[in-house]
Amino acid sequence: MEKKKAPAKIFKQELIVFLVVVALLIFFCAASEDFRKYTTILTIMDYSYYIVLMAIGVAFPLITGGVDLSIGTGLVCYSLAGGYMIVHMGLPVWLAMIVTILFGIVIGTLNGFLIGVMGLPPFLATLCTCMITRGLGSICSGNFGISWPASGQDGSWFRNIFKYTAGDTKIPLGFIWVLILAIVMHYVLNHTKIGRYTIAIGSNKEAAILSGINVKFYHIMAYVISGFFAALAAIAYSAVFGTVLPGTGAGFELEAIGGAIIGGVSATGGAGSIIGTFIGVFVICLLKTGLPFIGLQANWQQIVTGLVLIGSVMVDIVKKSKEAKK
Amino acid sequence: MKKIKENPIIKKLGFNRIILTGVLILMYVILSFSVKNFAGMPRIMSALNYAYFLGFLSLGVTFVIATGGIDFSIGPVMFCCALISGYSLTSLGVPMLPALIISILVGLIFGTFNGYLVAYWKVPPFIVSMASMNIAKGVASVFTKTQSVSWPQLAKGGWFRLLVKNGQIPIGVVIFLAIAVICSIILNHTKGGRYMLSLGSNREAVRLSGVDIKKWEMLAYVICGVLAGIAAIYFVGAYTTVQPGYGDQYNNEAIAGCVMGGTSMAGGLASIGGTVIGVFIIALLQEGILALGFTKDYQLIMTGIIVIVAVYADVMARRRKN
Amino acid sequence: MGEVILEMKDIDKSFPGVHALDHVCFDVRRGEVHALMGENGAGKSTLMKVLTGIYTKDSGTIIYEGKEIEFHGTREAQDAGVVIVHQELNMVGHLTVAQNIFIGREFKKGFSIDDRKMNEEAAKLFKRLNIDIDPTATMSDLTVGKQQMCEIAKAISHDAKVIIFDEPSAALTETEIEDLFKIIRDLRDQQLGIVYISHRMDEIKVITDRVTVMRDGCYVGTLITADSTKEDIVSMMVGRVIYEEPKTKSMVPDDAPVVLKVDHLCAGKMVQDVSFELRKGEILGFAGLMGAGRTETARAIFGADPKESGDIYVNGKLVEINSPEDAVKAGIGYLSEDRKRFGIVVQKTIAENTTMADLQNYMKGLFIDKKKEKKVAQEFVDSLATKTPSVDQLVVNLSGGNQQKVVIAKWLCKNSDILIFDEPTRGIDVGAKNEIYKLMNKLASEGKSIIMISSEMTEILRMSDRIVVMCEGHKTGELRIEETKQELIMSLATRDIG
Repeated sequence: MEKKKAPAKIFKQELIVFLVVVALLIFFCAASEDFRKYTTILTIMDYSYYIVLMAIGVAFPLITGGVDLSIGTGLVCYSLAGGYMIVHMGLPVWLAMIVTILFGIVIGTLNGFLIGVMGLPPFLATLCTCMITRGLGSICSGNFGISWPASGQDGSWFRNIFKYTAGDTKIPLGFIWVLILAIVMHYVLNHTKIGRYTIAIGSNKEAAILSGINVKFYHIMAYVISGFFAALAAIAYSAVFGTVLPGTGAGFELEAIGGAIIGGVSATGGAGSIIGTFIGVFVICLLKTGLPFIGLQANWQQIVTGLVLIGSVMVDIVKKSKEAKK
Repeated sequence: MKKIKENPIIKKLGFNRIILTGVLILMYVILSFSVKNFAGMPRIMSALNYAYFLGFLSLGVTFVIATGGIDFSIGPVMFCCALISGYSLTSLGVPMLPALIISILVGLIFGTFNGYLVAYWKVPPFIVSMASMNIAKGVASVFTKTQSVSWPQLAKGGWFRLLVKNGQIPIGVVIFLAIAVICSIILNHTKGGRYMLSLGSNREAVRLSGVDIKKWEMLAYVICGVLAGIAAIYFVGAYTTVQPGYGDQYNNEAIAGCVMGGTSMAGGLASIGGTVIGVFIIALLQEGILALGFTKDYQLIMTGIIVIVAVYADVMARRRKN
Repeated sequence: MGEVILEMKDIDKSFPGVHALDHVCFDVRRGEVHALMGENGAGKSTLMKVLTGIYTKDSGTIIYEGKEIEFHGTREAQDAGVVIVHQELNMVGHLTVAQNIFIGREFKKGFSIDDRKMNEEAAKLFKRLNIDIDPTATMSDLTVGKQQMCEIAKAISHDAKVIIFDEPSAALTETEIEDLFKIIRDLRDQQLGIVYISHRMDEIKVITDRVTVMRDGCYVGTLITADSTKEDIVSMMVGRVIYEEPKTKSMVPDDAPVVLKVDHLCAGKMVQDVSFELRKGEILGFAGLMGAGRTETARAIFGADPKESGDIYVNGKLVEINSPEDAVKAGIGYLSEDRKRFGIVVQKTIAENTTMADLQNYMKGLFIDKKKEKKVAQEFVDSLATKTPSVDQLVVNLSGGNQQKVVIAKWLCKNSDILIFDEPTRGIDVGAKNEIYKLMNKLASEGKSIIMISSEMTEILRMSDRIVVMCEGHKTGELRIEETKQELIMSLATRDIG
């Protein structure tokens, strides 16, 4: 009996979030005729890729009980650095991508070192690297916007990874890739050492240390994963959008962290689901693309995202205190 | 070394603060020698302009950090205050004095919102900060229809600029220091301050002493919000124009001033005097970086590194004690 | 008993300001249970931490299986077969039982962890130990006792040769302790060396073969358990025999007014339908095992945790207590079992801690009257004989006993009439203990009413006028001191409730 119950319990949160996504879809479809178009799906997808990727990454620091605030400005910084190398140094796109990813890993390692080894509070350390990456991005781009090769130009093949153009129709291929990545990372979280120790650190760090786990290493790894995915998100962002501007990127992390927390990652660490995160991001993306259709300007979306984030944390807190009473 | 630290006069002034003052003076001397005309009045006034608004933000966040929390929504909140009150003044025809009050009120509302969520709902402070940072940006953009706002010059009824300076007299310094003294008194000599510091150190012990800790914890965020409202007035008093969607870079600088001054990120330990000196160092640093011909971006990186070093020093000091 | 498997010789360890271990010797043989005893702070835990490499020793040698070794961390010790079952449970609540048992050395299948095999292995372990736990259950859903069993299973799964039990019985019920002892005897018969750290004299007599006593970081001596009496061991532990005469009759007249009446109090699983009365000038002892619900009862009365139902009357009047604030206003003070976490603010001075609950009476307008504050704090330092150079001293620099006095001063300063002492002498050395006892008697004679929660039987018998016994969240008995015997309390405290 009990064994049957377990999987149902695990996927309960995911199911609820999925229903919320469906409900939002129905709501926007009912509210606006313009929303019911294929291009809307393309827009939602375009916005979803980089947020999903950041969210998958940031889920790991969140599960350790920390947070990574540097992913938003980091994304812009990596993208600028990669773009600079393509545009001004003539590097091939594939090489620039690798450099971009390496850059993400380096910043992730720096975060991990500051938090896991030096013992700084996570939000503070990553707030600093957030500012540092912002400054670095502006410096290495010379304070100008940079575009990765546009469709039709040399080296624009990477744009087809995310949006494949077949004749007149555009196919959001990227959805498949991010879904695969989400499933892979879901597996990593639940069935590999990195994932298991990430949970252990967030749940009871002392116990993890006493079990002889190299806690520092795995703590750093959580932030490396976060940096790595922020860099992947940078590539997705560069592929989907035209020009990347230095000084932007602040606020992206809210969308990613919001998505993760809506998807069931605990704001206090120890528990979380990557599939849930994946679905949770679509709540944010739907709001982002849907709100303008019902007459709310883009800025409202910032406010709504903030409120949704706080709301979902509050729901989590109420749920936990009810469980504690039991 | 130990003997110096235990000298009663030095103990009274605070070893840390003496060192910081030394750093401040040293920085000034070095910059004066390496940059032409750095020692002149215009540079000093420019650095002071930066120190005012940053100082108010930093004083505010000192209270929050004393309770063991964090608020990194203050920069955008300050901008939101300046934008809403400025828009009311220039586009809605609200007179000057009420506009200034609106600025402080907006800060108060954000502070109350943050404090309520942290103290009564136990939402982690970093989540609250992140959310209200974006809410502040969004509200400001919606309210001003994404237009920047310029506050009037002195000749055109902008008398609030007299709060910053009158001719070459930096009145702002007097007001800033006076408010810093009030903050210091609140923190060290009133019930609220005592409980804020104590609950930052051990909240359960304070709660079990029959103290309404939620009220006092919330108060810290409220004070922080009000000071962000005041900071907004000084920001536009010095720089005239504000643009929606910005302000986050000041979070880090405000926190930098605070932690450099000896306020512990773990809570329970705070020094207003240290914060004041810390703020002056940051302001001088920003002036120096610009004077040396670097861009604002280097300032961001420098501040980031300073915060990391200052907090690490605090972490090490606590480890040694245990 | 077999040959010596582990020997520690002349172990020396200093921390800044403390000589924690002073040339301590200790050995374990195959197939024996060797008790390590001593007051709190005697250095038992430090010695075991040196053994398992959490601390590095300053000097001395450790010989294990005939070779001199030094472990650098629990992992190395585990791999060599030396395992600690910790006092505080070190379990990752969000993971399953099997995942916890094999944490740090998961079975792998390619890149992934082989959870199925881990579940099977865990089930085998439990079978060997004869315990019934589902390996796939989430750890945080288990009772404390079951979690302890998982710890033991984890220790054994390391192919351990030496197992150290650090106060394993502290949180267990009587039946669970019996199960534990059965397991320990099995392990002993399998020729493992077992170190058993405990405070409970009765257990030591039942389960151990030899007893080593430590005091103030020094080795005192080793006895064969069967050949020595309880008094021998106690006198070695304290260094001098304290005269602990039990109270023979209540000091409180039967018609003394009832100051606190608790009526059908319910608060969660640990407080179920608890009712009792407290009279003026009385010391009411609360006896029971750890986890019996005594602290939870106290916290519910004090409003520190929410209660579900039940009424509280103070001086005959019904009072609504929903927070510590309400309780303090009603004249109740609570001295927590865990001073550092719940009692004092260690980074503040004595004066600041003293006025913590009563600050509104030290205000001059908007400001705190620091002169008055210091004066009053000084008065309490004098009257309670707190050892400190000045009231400006940070509390972190005081010893346990003196910290406790600061907490007492806090409630006296508030002038609370009802004081709840939760394990008032835990972690306090013997001399300071007696001072705390004297102080409590003095307070009672001055008309304060005291609820004293204690797990030490001698303390309960020595101090109480009346005794309430609890077990698993229920009140199982109320005894007058005249009719009380240790055995009677014990049987009430371990009574099985449906």
